[in-house]
Amino acid sequence: MHTLLKFFSSLRLTVVLLTLSLVLIFFGTLDQVEYGIWETQKRYFESFLVVWSYPLQAPAGASLQWLKIPLPGGYLLGGFLLINLLAAHATRFKLTWKKSGLFCIHFGLILLLISELLTDIVSEESQMAIDEGGQANYSETVLENELVFIDCSQSDLDTVHTIPTTLLEKGKRIAIPDSDLSVRAIQYYPNAKIARAPEASEASALNRTIANRGIVERIDLQVFEQPMDYSQDAINTATAFIEIFDASDTSLGIWLVSNVIDERFPPQTIQTKSKSLEIALRFKRTYHPFTVELLDFTHEKYPGTEIPYNFSSEVFVNDLNQNKKQKALIYMNHPLRYGGLTFYQASFANEDTTSILQVVKNPGWLLPYISVLLMGLGMCFQFGMHFIKFLRKAKH
Amino acid sequence: MFSEKQPYILTNISLIGLLVIGLVLLSACEQQAAESYTIPKERSTVAKTSQSEEPKMQVLPGMQSFADSASGISYQTPDSWTEFPPSSIRKANFKIDNASGTAEVSVTVFPGDVGGTLANINRWRQQISLSPIDQASLKENITPIIISNHHGYFTKLEGNTESILGGILPFHGSTWFIKMQGDILVIEEEVDTFKSFLSSIRIDDNHH
Repeated sequence: MHTLLKFFSSLRLTVVLLTLSLVLIFFGTLDQVEYGIWETQKRYFESFLVVWSYPLQAPAGASLQWLKIPLPGGYLLGGFLLINLLAAHATRFKLTWKKSGLFCIHFGLILLLISELLTDIVSEESQMAIDEGGQANYSETVLENELVFIDCSQSDLDTVHTIPTTLLEKGKRIAIPDSDLSVRAIQYYPNAKIARAPEASEASALNRTIANRGIVERIDLQVFEQPMDYSQDAINTATAFIEIFDASDTSLGIWLVSNVIDERFPPQTIQTKSKSLEIALRFKRTYHPFTVELLDFTHEKYPGTEIPYNFSSEVFVNDLNQNKKQKALIYMNHPLRYGGLTFYQASFANEDTTSILQVVKNPGWLLPYISVLLMGLGMCFQFGMHFIKFLRKAKH
Repeated sequence: MFSEKQPYILTNISLIGLLVIGLVLLSACEQQAAESYTIPKERSTVAKTSQSEEPKMQVLPGMQSFADSASGISYQTPDSWTEFPPSSIRKANFKIDNASGTAEVSVTVFPGDVGGTLANINRWRQQISLSPIDQASLKENITPIIISNHHGYFTKLEGNTESILGGILPFHGSTWFIKMQGDILVIEEEVDTFKSFLSSIRIDDNHH
């Protein structure tokens, strides 16, 4: 126990961990060129281990493809740094008046590490698009997809059964929640191209024969797998062939679902003995217990130019549960905070008639501010004390 | 610098350490699960991010090319309607905005029968929060009408806040949908105009 504690509390470990963090950031930055910010964040900083491969596009890429470097991920380094700091306090540091500044700095650092972890685990980001005069009660993220089964048989409510596509990728049988049906993805493509059969001639076109229900009954379609596009604003066409089974394990057919087969097309339905369900693969949605109505969207430009000067959305929040109504103006650096969410003005579309708000849920948003404040205070105290000591010495 | 043994602090520290390791492992195990929930019926006023991102999105070529290759259409636009350019798979687009409220008219065409007349009527009924009907009561909901020299159906669906006027026309292996959806008062006023719009429609016919 003692040796273990000695190892975890050593200053050498701190130096090694900090050096490895620098290396991780370096290789992460290199890979950001190929994978974009979101994927890099996931691969390098929200993981325990990552393997960097020499990029094909780099000089001599083809001949250096074998070069792979395993690196500890952000969770591993962050976790060890945290343990290192805690262990050092347990063995080496003693809380005295002189050292209180140092304690303050370290406590701020611990809080910062924990807040980062908390942000990784619980924070969610999505976008809410609202037309002028329209309202929305959900936001969606184009980075994730979900398979949904919607029971529209009630006159005022829809029941939505969702399965994240991350579960589909494994090809396992998944029970559709709160129903006696189950689903299995025969094929799942994170990105694909869908084309009408006669237009396509590539060999992989055999895929069209797989599906036998839904949209393929009307149009002969083919699916071609595409590599994932990680560029900044890219939207990948997640597509799947899914087979549905009823309670007696009988196959009801195979459907082709994709996030491009959206509201613009007639819904695809599954008919069982007892009910009919709409089926779709769509961007992951988060429904909120309130609606946001867009009263007016303003896009001001500098006179005589096309350079934007200000974007603002005048919204009306209508809380269905608390019978609360609130009007707000959202513009640059002036978000709306409501129901634990923050709404930022993110973008606009449809010739300035649709506003797109970035919806951020981050319960730990205050922690980094507190930790930076603690570290700042600690530094002022620690250096201030040294300075006073120096002044006294100089006097004598 | 090194302090004496601090058993209490040590226990606490190891507990915190375990907690941290637990948290880290928990985050690794973080997995989304399948779930069910209920939501108020969707309304068409909600804009879709996918629509706003349309230039970057892949429009399903099958549907798009079918719409593009479908027969041409001509019609007489009623004076009180404002016409908008055709969008995506819509062959024609109109908006009505007056003191009674607003309504939208769209003309679309799809291959096949799109599930049949009953399924389409029920889809429209759902859009204005009406419960679905069965085959037996379908007849009460539709009236035969001639559009572009072919037999089609006219329907009027009255909801609580919104109503729909619709024309469905099976046309040589495809189906044309002419739909007006909007505030109940506007729809009530526009019934005759909508019917005369339906009878003004001429679809290019190479089959006769």
